[in-house]
Amino acid sequence: MDIAVRFERVSRHFGEVRAVDDVSLEVRAGEFFAMLGPSGSGKTTCLRLIAGFERPSAGHIEIFGVQADRLPPFERDVNTVFQDYALFPHMNVIDNVCYGLMVRRVSRRERHGRGAEMLNLVRLEGLETRRPSQLSGGQRQRVALARALINQPKVLLLDEPLGALDLKLREEMQSELKTLQRSLGITFVFVTHDQGEALSMSDRVAVFNKGRIAQVDTPETIYARPATRFVADFVGHANIIEPASAQRLAGRAGTFALRPEKIRFAAGGAMPETGWAMTDGQVVAAQYHGSHTRYEIRLTDGLVLIAQRQNEAEPMAASADGRVRLAWRLDDMTPLGPDSEAPP
Amino acid sequence: MTALALEPMPRTSPLRRLSGVLYRHPHLLLLALLGPPILWLGVVYLGSLIALLLQSFFSIDEFSGVVNREFTLRTYGELAHPANLDIIGRTVMMAAAVTIAAAAIAFPIARYMALHATGRTKAVLYLLVMLPLWSSYLVRVYAWKLILAKEGIVTWVFDQLGLAWLLDGILAIPVIGGPSLSISYIGTFIVFVYIWLPFMILPIQAALERVPASLLEASADLGAKPRQTFRKVILPLAFPGVVAGSIFTFSLTLGDYIIPQIIGQSRIFIGQAVFIHQGTAGNIPLAAAFTVVPIVIMAIYLFGAKKLGAFDAL
Amino acid sequence: MLRSTVFGVLAATALIAVSSTSPSDAADMVKKIGAGEGAVDIVAWPGYLERGETDKNFDWVTDFEKKTSCKVNVKTAGTSDEMVALMNEGGFDLVTASGDASLRLISGKRVQPVNVDLIPSWKKVDPRLQKAPWHTVDGVHYGVPYQWGSNVLMYNTNIFKEPPKSWSVVFEETTLPDGKPNKGRVQAFDGPIYIADAAMYLMKHKPELGIKDPYELNEDQYKAALTLLRQQRQIVGRYWHDAFVQIDDFTNEGVVASSSWPFQVNILASQKKPVGSTVPEEGATGWADTTMMHADAPHPNCAYLWLEHSINPKLQGDLAAWFGSVPAVLDACKGNALLTDEGCKTNGLDNFERIHFWRTPVSKCASQGTCVPYYRWVTDYIAVLGGR
Repeated sequence: MDIAVRFERVSRHFGEVRAVDDVSLEVRAGEFFAMLGPSGSGKTTCLRLIAGFERPSAGHIEIFGVQADRLPPFERDVNTVFQDYALFPHMNVIDNVCYGLMVRRVSRRERHGRGAEMLNLVRLEGLETRRPSQLSGGQRQRVALARALINQPKVLLLDEPLGALDLKLREEMQSELKTLQRSLGITFVFVTHDQGEALSMSDRVAVFNKGRIAQVDTPETIYARPATRFVADFVGHANIIEPASAQRLAGRAGTFALRPEKIRFAAGGAMPETGWAMTDGQVVAAQYHGSHTRYEIRLTDGLVLIAQRQNEAEPMAASADGRVRLAWRLDDMTPLGPDSEAPP
Repeated sequence: MTALALEPMPRTSPLRRLSGVLYRHPHLLLLALLGPPILWLGVVYLGSLIALLLQSFFSIDEFSGVVNREFTLRTYGELAHPANLDIIGRTVMMAAAVTIAAAAIAFPIARYMALHATGRTKAVLYLLVMLPLWSSYLVRVYAWKLILAKEGIVTWVFDQLGLAWLLDGILAIPVIGGPSLSISYIGTFIVFVYIWLPFMILPIQAALERVPASLLEASADLGAKPRQTFRKVILPLAFPGVVAGSIFTFSLTLGDYIIPQIIGQSRIFIGQAVFIHQGTAGNIPLAAAFTVVPIVIMAIYLFGAKKLGAFDAL
Repeated sequence: MLRSTVFGVLAATALIAVSSTSPSDAADMVKKIGAGEGAVDIVAWPGYLERGETDKNFDWVTDFEKKTSCKVNVKTAGTSDEMVALMNEGGFDLVTASGDASLRLISGKRVQPVNVDLIPSWKKVDPRLQKAPWHTVDGVHYGVPYQWGSNVLMYNTNIFKEPPKSWSVVFEETTLPDGKPNKGRVQAFDGPIYIADAAMYLMKHKPELGIKDPYELNEDQYKAALTLLRQQRQIVGRYWHDAFVQIDDFTNEGVVASSSWPFQVNILASQKKPVGSTVPEEGATGWADTTMMHADAPHPNCAYLWLEHSINPKLQGDLAAWFGSVPAVLDACKGNALLTDEGCKTNGLDNFERIHFWRTPVSKCASQGTCVPYYRWVTDYIAVLGGR
């Protein structure tokens, strides 16, 4: 499989700040690749390094096998959908979309033909002569997408493109983007701080923390098998079981993550089976979430676990005083590696 | 409605009642806030303009210098005298040249300030641009007279560089040349550009400052070379700033009467004509008619700028 | 043609108005001086009313205020036109008007006749000035002579070893004694009254034009003067307006000859600059100033007291020394410490006959039927400066 973007020990420093710190990574051609992380984790700087807006302080970047460290943005087969869309306010929609063709001196007739195709693709026919200021947020987003796609880039970079949209529109766009990526076969590199977005859309996810990559893998693995405490915590909810508790509850050494939905509520007199851990606790709080309810359960040693239960037809069997018996498969406990800390 | 609401309101102070009234009628508050400035603008500004306009329809008894307060177009007829048309033409040409030159010089400076300079450099640049405005205009003009004089520093520098022939060549150009830089249109032009330059830099800088960096990145990202980004994105977005700056430089040059009197060839400009006719000769009608000229020119100018879409971004 | 006719009619109307109202004005003349009103407001040239603030030796206001209790308020004016404008505005008692303003003030009915019987020193005034036409209309005096002086040809003594004999060095394109052309190195005054200097030059050099008085020009003479001035425009870089700008031009711009005032000559000489001044063979234009009284003067009694004070020999001598002018009272020429006994001669006392004093050109003139009036001088001189 071709490698679309390769980072080889890339760093980008701004004075004392190590925005990107010794990152190596490979984005495969044709995949939908998400960069997930909290703000300031270096994901956007990585995107800007790919686009050419930043240059690496150290290391090398290749785009489809071509060394790109010193390549200016206008010489890269890479286009970007900006977080604020960056539509040219003095141009109408069609001119915005066709900008990439215009600066390449494509004739006006051909330009407008392709522009119309692009608007068709993002379902914005009929808005050609509007100014960006006359469009809704979702429409602007589509114009930005069409504009970035008209040059048929090898890699499309998306910098939090859905951040400014409301929930419903965001969900709609998520599936649309995914469909579009499938049909065009272009490599998408997508920056987001929204773990749900990253998990639902991408083929692979890189989780960033403090300028470094904590884990790169498929969404399923990232979720089910977080590599570090940071990933476990940042992606979904996780119970972190410290070594002392792990030893007592499961007879295992190390720190573990346990997803709340993996914890079962056992019947009062149930006995532990092989491969399972079991413990008693007291429900201290319950949050109703519609499809499921989330419980806070204090164990006898004071450890508080979060457990989640689907709201099925039958109500939960708990004793009147709120005492419950919990059980989970030992395999669902994911051992966590140490979090990478930037060297001092 | 509950019974409670029907009970008489508790006694309140007049101030509270006023606040209540203003709260319920926001337009009253607006009127109270905007009234005084509008009155000021209406009476003092428009009033004086109208008074001026009226004056231009009077005429003067040329011998005794007494204004004849009867409606006549004679004064405007005088404006059409070839010598007066010369004055108008000369002033407009100068204002146009000064505006173009100021824009050409100001643009790179403003662009650097807005898009490249950061922190300390930016503060220093601001200071450098504003600094001349802190010293007296008159002092700076007189200083320029000395700089541009035949025995002045510019001549000296050209001499030292062995370029005296070049300066002489420039001064030998008909019409704009003269015996020395301070006695030529070139000198007047240089000083005008110098004096009004900050008024061009600041609006352009402000316009460029409002351009998000992402727009320039987007342009490069889509394949535009820096020159294309400049032409297709920076220039159009700075255009309102250039127009705002040109309104300053153009109108200020149109009205100035000090610079051409001190630097130049004694060929008078509109401002001087106004000065001579009102301050000195007491010919208020002709002075008023002369004053109407820049107003009309600026009206045409603004109309043109509007047609070009300079105010679309406002 | 139509335009000049219209203007001619207007100017003539103005003149008729003057002559018909003058006698009645004379009848309204002040008959006796009452008690002072405590103040007197005077429009004057800069330097004309000194109260010792610039140089404590030059003070002729303070003792007047002490003696009469009339506080003197001075409003300075830079040009004759400005003086006329101020007087038209009103609120002043007196004005030190030059000849190019005085007749305009009289015809505009802005000034009132002066009863010389109320001014004891009147008989001491230089007889040549007592009935001067710039303040006497139909035998009625409209003011008291103050000072007079002549414009001079200032020149650079490094270039001119001998004083230039003729104004031709500033009017005609020529080569100066240093072998270089005069183009760009000479100056002229930027006021319309300078047309008279050109006419004066033509009196001598083109006698066939028949100019008798440079302030009274018919169409042909006027045209010839403008032609000469247009020719002069070719060799003059900048016209002078502000005395200090001219001083700077002589210092830094390589200007070597120009019409000027004794004032600039004195300042440059005091800076040890190589300048001299002369009145060439054609003569010179000059100014003669008259203190005139506003028709609606708010303080007539103090005004009369000042008129008497203005021609006392001490003031006249001090002022002449200060301003580089000639006293209106000949007694001032002797025994004044500031002026010295040579002062009057230095400032041009003996040139009186060769000086053409500034007057306002009017259409109805004495030497010939119709003359070109002043308003045309204004517009045409602006045009000449503009190169038209």
